[in-house]
Amino acid sequence: MKPLMKRGLFERSPLNRGMRGGMASRIIGPWDWILAPALISLAATIVLATAFQPLGLYLPEPVTPLLLAFAWPLIRPSYIAPFVLGGLGIFLDFFWGAPLGFWTLNLMLVYAVLVFARTYIIGQDWLVVFGVFLLTELVFFGLCTVVMSIDTGSVPRLFGVFEQAFATTLFFPAVWYLMEKYLHADVRFQ
Amino acid sequence: MSSVSYGDNKHFEHIKLPMTWAVMGVVGLVCIIAALMLLGDRSEQVEAEAYAKRSGFDSAAGPVNNAISWPVQKVGAGTNWLDDYFFAVSENRVLRTKVAQLSQYENLYKQERDLNSRYEKLLNLRTEPEMDMVAARSVSVSRGPFANNRLIDAGSKKGITFGNPVITDQGLVGRIVGVSPDVSRVLMVTDVTSHVPVMVMRSDARAMMNGDGNTGYTKLDFVRGRDSVRVGDQILTSGDGGIFPRGLPVGEAVKGVDGVWRVRLYSNRAPIELVKVVKFKDFSQLPDPSTLLRSPPVSDILPPPAMPRVDPQSVAQSQAPAPAAATSSSASPAATPARPVNRASSSSTAPRPRPAAASSSSSSSALPPEAAQTSTAASSSPAGAQP
Repeated sequence: MKPLMKRGLFERSPLNRGMRGGMASRIIGPWDWILAPALISLAATIVLATAFQPLGLYLPEPVTPLLLAFAWPLIRPSYIAPFVLGGLGIFLDFFWGAPLGFWTLNLMLVYAVLVFARTYIIGQDWLVVFGVFLLTELVFFGLCTVVMSIDTGSVPRLFGVFEQAFATTLFFPAVWYLMEKYLHADVRFQ
Repeated sequence: MSSVSYGDNKHFEHIKLPMTWAVMGVVGLVCIIAALMLLGDRSEQVEAEAYAKRSGFDSAAGPVNNAISWPVQKVGAGTNWLDDYFFAVSENRVLRTKVAQLSQYENLYKQERDLNSRYEKLLNLRTEPEMDMVAARSVSVSRGPFANNRLIDAGSKKGITFGNPVITDQGLVGRIVGVSPDVSRVLMVTDVTSHVPVMVMRSDARAMMNGDGNTGYTKLDFVRGRDSVRVGDQILTSGDGGIFPRGLPVGEAVKGVDGVWRVRLYSNRAPIELVKVVKFKDFSQLPDPSTLLRSPPVSDILPPPAMPRVDPQSVAQSQAPAPAAATSSSASPAATPARPVNRASSSSTAPRPRPAAASSSSSSSALPPEAAQTSTAASSSPAGAQP
């Protein structure tokens, strides 16, 4: 069991699938499309939190786990992805000093909606996907604002919310890259 | 019974779980855990217990961010060196102008400081408690609309405790909300959970400065009175509630396009890199509130102020025609400040009075200035205070 799990998670050697073995040009494991992007997202968050103000300006603070919460359910529903996404949310709660569970809850709600809506989105032109991404951001940051207002009794500055949403939007190419690379890469994902 | 065979003896491979619903079960589980965490979190109340559970994470994240920020700091230092090199001439011109302006203020400051020390003696004010400071470097910052925090590389090993105010050379930055041995978390004044009691220096009006995630400006709420705030007024901490000491510079008042008063933070004038943690004890943390009253009076600590020189010969000449007035004035030397308060007695030829420090045994030195004035006038009126 242990070698199988290890092979399934980290190794790219094709499994013995009998007749279907020839159909799969390459086996995509969770490391490729879940764990590695999660680590990159985590690293990007830490690096962009560096106390460095070039020319007096602050570094952008995108919510990079939102990119994964959008891309993962579209690539494939997974049992591992919700746990990893929850872990990223808790990391943001601790690292950014937000109320515990704040980012986790909002990210999971985005993931849940997109799991149901994936069949309507995959296969569309990138402009359509980008439009859905903007809509997702609107809902996500709106939800964050409402939850924070209820939790603290103070409404966050809406222009600041827009700034963070804009910084996150700039990373949409990463979403498109993940989808292009992994959506059709493994026949088991179909 | 007939058994169904798929020909490869892998019966379970053809069993398919309803994937979407199973994943939704996992999502629901994580959502429930997150919701319970959110409901149980009390960080909005800014209490030490609410942040205690984060200290382990902070102590791990601090060194990581410190290591990441090290090359960035080096690059920044190199950039600053280049800037200094290329812009030295223009900067020199600006600095010359500023020095000329500030030298005027320096003279004024010296005069006011001397006058202030005299008033403090006359009022017999108690000194503010001594406050040590700890310097630290900011290693991580979150500046989004939902949380404004910083990690600094100094913690409980250096004596930092929950609630300590954090300042820069410009002004107030925030306060300590999480402490681990080597790292502390600073709640910025711009955070949505931050509420700082402040006052307007010009009018002494009180207000509450609330953060809303704006990195440069904070809201000024509950401003009372007409014309109590004007654009450009300096905002200081009021010390109300005992969370912050009184008089820390915060910023200046501006009016937003939405008509809301805001504070342009002084701390935003320059990048917040090095900060000072003021080891100020929140009043509520003091075991015995009476310790606040044990601070010694100013007159026991400060040296006596410089006195103007008086020529003894001119004093002797001036005392000769009006001995009664001189006697009455010297009877209560501490009552009259350096500036004349009574036209009648000051226009007389009596010598300039001595400050309170010179006559610590004087009973009137403990009186408020109004009472002291009255006693002076009463004692001098029979002889010298003729209209």
